[in-house]
This record gives sequence, C-alpha cells and structure tokens, in this order.
Amino acid sequence: MERLITSFFFLFLCVNLNAQQYLSLDGVITFFSEAPLENISAENKKVSAVYDSQSNEIAFQLQIEDFIFPKPLMQEHFNENYLESDIFPKSLFVGKVIQHKNGKAFVVGDLSMHGKTNRIKVEGSLKQEDDKVIISSEFIVKLEDYNIEIPTIVMYKIAEEIEVKVNIELIEVK
Amino acid sequence: MKKTILLSIFLCSFSVKAQENLLNLLGNDNEPMYISYLFKGTKVVNGQSVELPSKGVLQFTIQHRFGTLNSGFYNLYGLDNSQVRLGFDYGIKDYLSVGIGRSSAIKKIDMNSKFRIKRQIKEGFPFTIVMNSAIYIKQWQSADAQLEAFLLTNQLSFTNQLLVARKINRDLTIQFSPTMVHYNLVEKSVETHDKYSVGVGGRYKITKRLSLNSEYFYQLTDKKNNNALSFGFDIETGGHVFQLHLSNSSAMIAPEFITKTNGNWLDGDIYFGFNISRVFTITK
Repeated sequence: MERLITSFFFLFLCVNLNAQQYLSLDGVITFFSEAPLENISAENKKVSAVYDSQSNEIAFQLQIEDFIFPKPLMQEHFNENYLESDIFPKSLFVGKVIQHKNGKAFVVGDLSMHGKTNRIKVEGSLKQEDDKVIISSEFIVKLEDYNIEIPTIVMYKIAEEIEVKVNIELIEVK
Repeated sequence: MKKTILLSIFLCSFSVKAQENLLNLLGNDNEPMYISYLFKGTKVVNGQSVELPSKGVLQFTIQHRFGTLNSGFYNLYGLDNSQVRLGFDYGIKDYLSVGIGRSSAIKKIDMNSKFRIKRQIKEGFPFTIVMNSAIYIKQWQSADAQLEAFLLTNQLSFTNQLLVARKINRDLTIQFSPTMVHYNLVEKSVETHDKYSVGVGGRYKITKRLSLNSEYFYQLTDKKNNNALSFGFDIETGGHVFQLHLSNSSAMIAPEFITKTNGNWLDGDIYFGFNISRVFTITK
C-alpha cells in the first residue's frame, strides 16, 4: 500500500510539473499605421501563444496570411509585396518575462518575421486569474528592422513604424 | 517500485523537455496553404484569368483599344480610332463573382459569372480551376426589331470556359483555357454554331509591381479567321492596376477576339490598348 502511494506521489509529481503551462490558439494581434491617404490596419485572430509560469518563458506564433484587412487589395499587397508571405509564412516571438509586478510585465525576446530576427524589449500586462493568464501589450515595430521595403511610387505612402497590439487569453494546459 | 520511479523519472524528464521546447505546444496547424495571387488582374490580357474580385469588392474597368499601328501618321498610328468597354465586376463570395460590361464599336452588352471550383494548394492540389460563363447581347434599334425576321434569340452568343492555372513559382503563372463559343446566329448556314478553342496564357513578374503577360487563343474547330495573340504589361500602383497591351485583335470580349480576329502580327495589324481598373470595397 505504502509503495502504491509513493508510486502515485512520484507520478503526480511529474504531472504537476507539466501543469504550469498556459496555451491559446485564438489570440488577437492587430496593427495600425497612420498614412497620409489611408490608415492601414489589420487583425489576426488566430495567434497561438504559450506561457510557462514556472520558467517564465513565453512564445507567440502567427501566420502572416491570417491578417485580415478591411480592404482585400491591401491584404494582397501586404502578403505579396511587403511581408512576402509565400516565402516567410510565419512570424514568431520567443522570449522571457524578466520582471513581473502588480500585473505589469517586461518581456525580452526575439521577434522574427520576413526572414529577420531582432531582440526586442516590450512592456505589457500579464494577469493571472484562476486557470487563465491574460496578456496584453502595445509596441512599435520599425519596418526597416525587418527588411520590409517601402516603395517610393505607390499611391498610399506607408509609415515607417507600425503600432502593434497584442491581446491574448491563455488557458491552463491540463 | 523501482520500475515506477524509473517511469516517473522518465516522465519527468519528458515534461522538462516539453517545457524547454514551448514552441512544440504552439503546434503546426495542418490547414492547407492555399496559393494566392496567380495574376494581378482578373484578366490575362483580353481573356479572363483565374482571379476574381474579392468578396464585397466592386471593380470598375475602363478598357480602350485603338486602331492598328500600321494605319499611318494620318491616323496617328491608330490612336484616332478608339473603342471602349466599360465593365463592372463584383465579388459576391470569394469564389463567385458576376460582371457586366459594354463594348462600344460592336455594341454588345456582356454579362458573365466566374465560379472558382478548386484552389491550388502548396504541396497539394496543383491547379486553381475557375469556370467562366458569359452571355452577349447585340444591341438593336427599334427599326431592326420591326423586321419580320428579327428574333431576340438571334442577338445572343455565349462563352463557356474552364480556366486552369498553376503558379509555378512566385513569378511565373501559366493558364490553360479550354473554351467553347456558341453563336445563336451564324453568318452562313454551313457554319457550326459551336466553336471550340483553347487559350494558353501566362504572366511573369519582372518586379514586385510589374508583370509581363501573354496570351494565345488557338481555334480547334471551324477556323475562319486568325488566332489572337496578345502581349501586355500589368503595372500595379496601389489602388489601380494599369494594363498596357498589344494584340492582333481589337475586341475585348471572348467571342470576338477568339473567332473574329482579322489582324495579322506579321503585317503590322497590331492594336494598342490599355485597361485601367479600380477597386471599391463595398461591404466587409
């Protein structure tokens, strides 16, 4: 009997180790850029995200093609000319929460898209509620850092900096 | 007991490993990756391409065809003779669109619908297949309608075509278009009403915003005239697509340029033309 209990104890220990992770497959990332003629915005509702509250590691992943624009032509140009989603279909962020106090968090990590990876530091909020973790953040991405060319002869000029918003609710992995 | 400890150690090490590799949890979604943007425009040059206006998008196209380049300086090499087709295309669904247009010189109104049957998938189905069906009505005047021989049905002709395209790489797309043109009224009683042809076309992207297009329609049956050969450039500037082209046909609708092309490239019967299209997003 004693053996059995110890066995179970050991087995549960393992299960517990695994129960510190939070996952989401329908996170939302939007971006916005103010341009003289037309503002550019898009929304991706299929962001997958994972957070490990023990190791403080955090990762996001999205498909470039899942960004939905109000205008289909913008979406075409975004995929075809700017992000070249046929060659670089994914964007990925892998980082670590380095500071977490009163719901505020600092995250440092590598953001890759369009074939380039840059280390960024982002401020946001990270709130833990029961079996959920809610993450939100706003930061600026410079197109130049990711080799995204801004053509000179287009009707709508595109801003060199893009405002990115992250809003994700992660649920504990059981 | 030993076995259990070993097992739990094994399981623990496994879960630690899983933690290290958070990315595995994100998963690789197995959704098929569709190949998009085979052509810049809904037309290759004169003929339809496998592209449709997106859902909720209204596309307004102004097409111009001038006279032949060999018509001399007196006609400013064809620029004095121009004909126009105005057209609207609307995307009802992402896979279904309807269009209406009118060609000036031949006074025909055309209506068409395009239905996308299949899409090319990366490492999957190799082609994008679209069905295009069109009806053409020749306009008449009231005096014509009073003639005893006048029949409304005689003013109609039809085109049905299957557009089969493959994006071979990010620059090159090739399209085959088996086509059937039907005339309710033909010029001679011995002529067949159904005329079969096959179109071969493609585009090659020279830069991100400029592509070279070409198209050839080969008449398989009942060939009375020349086959249409056309070359064009698609230039994309934000909201517009400009298409500049040269063809031995001046017509802008399928029955005319497939079966009634008189021009010969070698004789210099080359028509310069351009299309401008602008899209308006009507609904989201």
